[in-house]
Amino acid sequence: MIGLLEASVSFGALLYLAALGEMIAEKAGILNLGVEGMIAMGAVTGFAVALQTGNPWVALVAAVAAGALVGLLHGFFTVVLGAEQVVSGLSLTIFGLGLAAYVGRGSVGRPSGAELVPVDWGPLTDIPWAGPVLFAQSPLVYLAVIAGFVTWFVLWRTRLGLAVRAAGESASTADAAGHSVAGIRLAAVAVGGGLAGAAGAYLTLSLTPQWAEGIVAGRGWIAVALVIFGAWHPGRVAVGALLFGLTLALKTRLQTFGVDFSPILLSMLPYVLTVGVLVVISIRSRNRPSPAPAALGIAYRREER
Amino acid sequence: MSRPVLVRREQVLRGGQPLAFGIGLAVALVVGVLLLVGSGHDPLRVYERMFEASLGDPRAWSVTLNRAVPLGLAGLAVAVAGSMGLWNIGAEGQIMAGAIGAAWVARIGGDWPSPVVITAMLAAAILGGGLLALGPAIARARIGVNEIITTLMLNEVAIRLVQWLIHGRWKDPDSHNFPLAPMLSDNARLPGLFERAHVGVVLAAVVIVLFGVAASRTAWGYELRVAGSSGATARYAGISLERKILTVLVLSGGVAGFAGGIELSGTSDRITENLSNGFGFAGIIVAALALMRPSGVAAVALLFGAVQIGGQSIQTMGVSSSVSTILQALILFGAIAAGVLSRYRVEMVAGDTTGAIR
Repeated sequence: MIGLLEASVSFGALLYLAALGEMIAEKAGILNLGVEGMIAMGAVTGFAVALQTGNPWVALVAAVAAGALVGLLHGFFTVVLGAEQVVSGLSLTIFGLGLAAYVGRGSVGRPSGAELVPVDWGPLTDIPWAGPVLFAQSPLVYLAVIAGFVTWFVLWRTRLGLAVRAAGESASTADAAGHSVAGIRLAAVAVGGGLAGAAGAYLTLSLTPQWAEGIVAGRGWIAVALVIFGAWHPGRVAVGALLFGLTLALKTRLQTFGVDFSPILLSMLPYVLTVGVLVVISIRSRNRPSPAPAALGIAYRREER
Repeated sequence: MSRPVLVRREQVLRGGQPLAFGIGLAVALVVGVLLLVGSGHDPLRVYERMFEASLGDPRAWSVTLNRAVPLGLAGLAVAVAGSMGLWNIGAEGQIMAGAIGAAWVARIGGDWPSPVVITAMLAAAILGGGLLALGPAIARARIGVNEIITTLMLNEVAIRLVQWLIHGRWKDPDSHNFPLAPMLSDNARLPGLFERAHVGVVLAAVVIVLFGVAASRTAWGYELRVAGSSGATARYAGISLERKILTVLVLSGGVAGFAGGIELSGTSDRITENLSNGFGFAGIIVAALALMRPSGVAAVALLFGAVQIGGQSIQTMGVSSSVSTILQALILFGAIAAGVLSRYRVEMVAGDTTGAIR
């Protein structure tokens, strides 16, 4: 049971990092369906740099940078060139998965050069239940929590955050208020990519820790789902991440609990729940505002406003 | 200080899209050279091998055409929805749902005559794909639920449904406990056309032509475009948006499902969780490159089929098949950039233009 909770937090944090990134981009008005590709690029970059340098922290920084760069590619096409966000994002997934496979072709099956070892919290780790679940996790779990708080604070408690949300709600209003919509959106997509890259690094520096093609295994799509499930709020997304993390953790443990339910059907749950939440949001938004950013997915060209 | 801005051209450059496509292809090939040199291969020899294996002789053409079938139908599925401004991101899952339907018919129709079982399989495939799209279609038409996300989510559900079937009740008892469905019986396989090509190539071509004609020559196609460009205009013209959204999305799912049925019956031995090997996602790129036009879809699907088959062939030279995956994405990226330049020109404007009106 403790193992289950520990794994839920661990899996959930990975999803949370990627989902936070996607949420930030969407808050600024950019739907990025390239999460899967960005995680893959972060994962392979982190692994390769760890092999080269032996330093997991350098590897983490490199993974974040790689994710941000790939994210910026989406930014370039959608923000600068005004391309369809759906098409560009999906191409980014294909591109990222392909490039990651190409970069990592020599690293498959190799032992990792360095790992991010769990943080030693001293006596806290010895607390029954809470110790192993909360105080024996990879540093990236704690980074995910910090990232969540920072995201909430910046988006809802600062002028910068107001500008970001304005860009996602009504780009022309943000523009009229003197903000650079293009700049904000590019930055948001880059930050989002960086967080996806961190999620990738978590995969290859902590969780597995190995590189293999297909290692991302659909986690990027779960992250996209999480943003909706959490109604574009860091707190609710965190709850969703734990819940979805629990389903991932349960998948391998159902049988040990003697539960006769197909783990495959269980793994459908996040997606089915997300569709359900989306339907509820749509029904409720008939008489109250939807939590979705109003300008999400809409290109903004100042010259044509 | 000056900065570049994009200014809309008064007229879109003529031949812009084929040109953009060509530029995209060129960009992809150039970057491909860098990747190949980077991994110590002779790019010219690799490209030559890719060309030979995909378009070099009738046998190569037959394999490429087979591959173009799911790509083209998935592209058509996206284009049908796209012509009305809707995004069907669920072709990947609808292909799987179609394959499930077809595989189910093949299971119960083991001793039926071949034409009967194949016809029933393909009909079930269309039904399966349409059924998976039905939920998102109703949700979108009735309560305005964003179809991008619902169709995307159902991809993952459909793939797991196949996994569940082949791990459970569809598992072949002779598979030594591997999660494999039994092989299709011979009567469930599409007849051949030439070399490796199967009649699915003809079926797909017919469907694409039919939709091409329907889209450009019928009132139905016209209404779609009106509804896609302006919901208000459509309502004013008496077009029922709700009904249009519903039929178009279900039809789109049915076309993708059809691809799944053909793929199962034509090229796959059995239903597997990898049956739709990214065809649904590639179909979105195909449709985007074809500007949501059926005629373009066929051409782009053929080229993507060639790139994919060529990409598989170079694995024997020790080249990672990921190179062909990267090429496909790069064709699109290059074409997006070039496509923008056919509609806009770059102008340098002076200094700080905050609030400037042009």
